Amino acid sequence: MNRLRALFLAPSAAFTVVLFLAPMAIIVGYSFMTRGVYGGVTGPWTVENYQRLFDPLYGVILWRSLVMSTLATALCLLIAFPLALFIARAEEKRKNIYLYLVILPFWTSFLVRTYAWMFLLRDSGLINSVLLSLHVIQKPLPLLYNETAVVVGLVYGYLPFAVLPLYSNLERMDKNLLEAAADLGATQWETIRRVVLPLCAPGMRAAGVLVFIPCLGAYLTPDLLGGGKSIMIGNLIQNQFTTARDWPFGAAISLALMALVMVLLLALLRRDGEEAL
Amino acid sequence: METALALRALEKSFSSHRVVDGISLDVPKGCFYSLLGPSGCGKTTILRMIGGFGEPDAGEIVLNGKRLNGLRPYERPVTTVFQSYALFPHLTAAQNIAFGLERRGEAPAAIAPKVNRMLELVGLQEKAGRMPANLSGGEKQRTALARALVVEPEMLLLDEPLSALDPALRKRVRIELKQLQKQLGITFLFITHDQEEALSLSDQIAVMNKGKIEQIGTPQEIYLTPATRFVAGFLGAVNWIDGIGVRPEATRISRATPGNGARTVDAQVETSVFLGDCFHVQTRTSAGVTVTAQVSHKDEPFANGDRVHVWWHAADELPVRE
Repeated sequence: MNRLRALFLAPSAAFTVVLFLAPMAIIVGYSFMTRGVYGGVTGPWTVENYQRLFDPLYGVILWRSLVMSTLATALCLLIAFPLALFIARAEEKRKNIYLYLVILPFWTSFLVRTYAWMFLLRDSGLINSVLLSLHVIQKPLPLLYNETAVVVGLVYGYLPFAVLPLYSNLERMDKNLLEAAADLGATQWETIRRVVLPLCAPGMRAAGVLVFIPCLGAYLTPDLLGGGKSIMIGNLIQNQFTTARDWPFGAAISLALMALVMVLLLALLRRDGEEAL
Repeated sequence: METALALRALEKSFSSHRVVDGISLDVPKGCFYSLLGPSGCGKTTILRMIGGFGEPDAGEIVLNGKRLNGLRPYERPVTTVFQSYALFPHLTAAQNIAFGLERRGEAPAAIAPKVNRMLELVGLQEKAGRMPANLSGGEKQRTALARALVVEPEMLLLDEPLSALDPALRKRVRIELKQLQKQLGITFLFITHDQEEALSLSDQIAVMNKGKIEQIGTPQEIYLTPATRFVAGFLGAVNWIDGIGVRPEATRISRATPGNGARTVDAQVETSVFLGDCFHVQTRTSAGVTVTAQVSHKDEPFANGDRVHVWWHAADELPVRE
């Protein structure tokens, strides 16, 4: 029995060690080394990379990343909740069609979809062209290459990650509870506020985590839709490994970001644990 | 007696299947009224339409002179005790009970005393702070009852509220429920498929079958003088002998020829089952019909194969024929 279990676990254990733990160890090692002249790393060992994290310049980028990720997460939850509620309460036959539509964007690459947003938002893009031809506006709106465009892109990209956990939470909810609330005098809005929302708090937290974490590490969306002007931590890390050729500092930022995410997750898990009691 | 609820020619179909087929009835004020019938007879659909969870295709629902058709559930002066209780899992027993009062805009200062009085009434003072997950089946049932009663509805709708309880508890809760209804004087509309429950609780019973009402009457009336063969069979066991219906407890057996005035057929004992308070003796008549008689301990014991006379008084014959 134990041998069988070891056999079954072997592939995932090997996968984790080779593709996750080993690279992690390398990153940790790099973060304590000195940058090479043409990239890469050399000696001596140092903690300077971590000291540099406290430069106010990077604080601004971290703060911007947190604000934009929080905003994108809040918007995702705001949009996903009614959508998930609608799907959960739809006819059985239709539910699968709606869920299929929610995950349909995953059929094409994220890069292609982000480019599609550029075509929508740019000065000669679809939105501006339509508004111009209808004479609603006289000159193109600056829709692309700003923080709003980045948040829009993030919300678009990670919305399905919010819809699915909320849906599964709402789907499991006893429909009688909604009737009981109405029966006791609650309007539909009060039922949502007093019964549905409190009961889908676990789904909300799961959805929030699933959206917030990838948002915080995003680099493609701010790069393409932000036009390099409003960069986030993801872009900063990418720059260190590419143009700046400062691998040790890039490694240190990566680990700092990971530590931050872990602290947030642990705080959330602890809350869930307390509620379970 | 003054009418609380009046249903007039109520109809409801689900995908061309007529579930409720022209139901008209009057529930008197303060009455414990039961809708009794097998599952799928339409009784739950009627309850849901009164509560506002589904509109009738035709007909009227009138409560104390006010037409309820088209009103939202939260606009109707009725509350429901759901079969699954549907207690809010994120609220304590006391918060569950307070829910309706809060939604109805009751002043916060008035809510606590009302909730406490209701907790006391159903004997849950000690459990006020418990979450539903930590309440027993009986406690959940009483919380659901208290939650529905605390808003002082004009009528309480009960959807098989005892069916989730174990049999021993069910009998006890039944007595409590009846006492509570008499004490509060609130009109109860009780849905059940359990004839014993309906007989023991109700002031009046409407027996339903296939979306129609078969008979309305007091428990005694529908049990002793069923209007249809369906009612006779649904309310209890019936021996059908040459088309005549006799209940087992009115059926006698003896070895000696019975006296004058008795209707009698010859039979042979097949089995005798001891039920604790009595025996059920199953016999087969010479015509090949199975007849069950309820026999007390004091009667002479019967053995399998005994040749006996099955007899009954004409007065005990049910007024319906097979």
